[in-house]
Amino acid sequence: MAARPDSEDIAMDDAPTSHQPEVKDDTMVDDAGEDVEEEEDYEEEEEEEEEVQRVKLLPGSTETAASFEFSNEGHTLGNALRYVIMRNPEVEFCAYAIPHPSEAKMNVRIQTFEGTTAIEALEKGLRDIQELCDVVTDKFVAAADDFEKKKAATA
Amino acid sequence: MDYDPMAMDDAESLGPVVKISQADSVRVKFELQNADISFANSLRRVMLAEIPTIAIDLVEIESNSSVLADEFIAHRLGLIPLNAEGVEHLLYSRDCDCEEYCENCSVKLTLHAKCTGYENMSVSARDLVPVGERINQSLGTPVISDKDGTGPLILKLRPEQEIKLECIAKKGIAKEHAKWAPSAAIGFEYDPHNKLRHLDLWYEKDPKSEWPPSEYAKWEEPPVEGEPFDFDAVPNHFYYNVETAGNLPPDGIVTEGIKVIQQKLAGLIHELTEGEGEGGYDGPRSPDYNSGPDTGYGYSTSYGGNGGNQSAWGGGGGTTPFGGQTSYGGGGWS
Repeated sequence: MAARPDSEDIAMDDAPTSHQPEVKDDTMVDDAGEDVEEEEDYEEEEEEEEEVQRVKLLPGSTETAASFEFSNEGHTLGNALRYVIMRNPEVEFCAYAIPHPSEAKMNVRIQTFEGTTAIEALEKGLRDIQELCDVVTDKFVAAADDFEKKKAATA
Repeated sequence: MDYDPMAMDDAESLGPVVKISQADSVRVKFELQNADISFANSLRRVMLAEIPTIAIDLVEIESNSSVLADEFIAHRLGLIPLNAEGVEHLLYSRDCDCEEYCENCSVKLTLHAKCTGYENMSVSARDLVPVGERINQSLGTPVISDKDGTGPLILKLRPEQEIKLECIAKKGIAKEHAKWAPSAAIGFEYDPHNKLRHLDLWYEKDPKSEWPPSEYAKWEEPPVEGEPFDFDAVPNHFYYNVETAGNLPPDGIVTEGIKVIQQKLAGLIHELTEGEGEGGYDGPRSPDYNSGPDTGYGYSTSYGGNGGNQSAWGGGGGTTPFGGQTSYGGGGWS
């Protein structure tokens, strides 16, 4: 990686996450030699088995205050998640953003009070929406059946 | 559960309510109450863009002496709605083991027409013939709902002109291309009297007389003259009008839409909890996973293995049999 001569003005950690270099898993990219190729082959195989990571904890996160990056998600999940997490009384703050419209990424910031962690709050939020979905499905199916019955009765 | 999300002091404490005002083979109109606008909008967005359906994706033209260019016809073919009954059992081509496409991830249709008479001839969706193995007999069949029974017009042929081609229909979602949209349109509306003032109505003299009232205006209390603005009010009644393009039944679009949200969430929960319970993790599922009215989940098939990457959004799915928590799509397919 090329060194940046102008890195004096701010510490890298203080820069917004979008300006920080991406942390790469494979550090041997710049190396050369046969070992590397073997290593890469091995990694490729591993990648096939592993799923693509969809949630990422962004740097600078602590237990109770964390930012998550969701890939391939947008307002559909973001807004509902933000709302439902914010309803959790143990959560102090929650917001979501889509940093750039042409990148399929969605960031969620969660800050909780002591006693719970941001990851727990996130998981709880996801489960709460699931529960809501279940209820809405049941209600919708019941309403549809009801409607059919009424229609059959009047016809 | 540390707290009950439904036991709070606002309207949501009552729990969501669904009321259907109209339902037929083309549309379903319903009202969702006591839910937040963010969830209502998620449902709308997901029904619009993320429900998997099937549409023609590849076209191989053997002969085309019509006046229309090959690519023009290919585009028209792509937009023809195909019956999507049972797409949940079809793989995405990108997740399939085959080279390009196979019967596990596509449906083949052929079109062969020649004008042998003395008058111009119409070629329509009815003339598309599905061939080869299919998951079920309706998957991939062109949707025909007009009274003549011809389906959408593809092109016209003059005497002696001929068209012969082969189409490959694949599974996809409308986020990638609108041809995969299950819904022709989704009406979404709230606050018909504009009490919340989310709208700034344009007018010449008087907005009340110039803007016709919404059909839902009579469902809600009209504003009282001189009533002060309620700053705490939030939208609470959402009116949907889901119109199908023919590939899925309208109520199926709604239930499938919720299922898509569920799958998204299940995939994410799976990823979050993956590191913790080693081995013993038996998959994310909603609490009342097994209490649905239909227990015939036909999910034990075809992609059972370790893949499970059948979802369009980054294959998070994992190996878990999420989905099937609705009474819809009950799977008698085995």
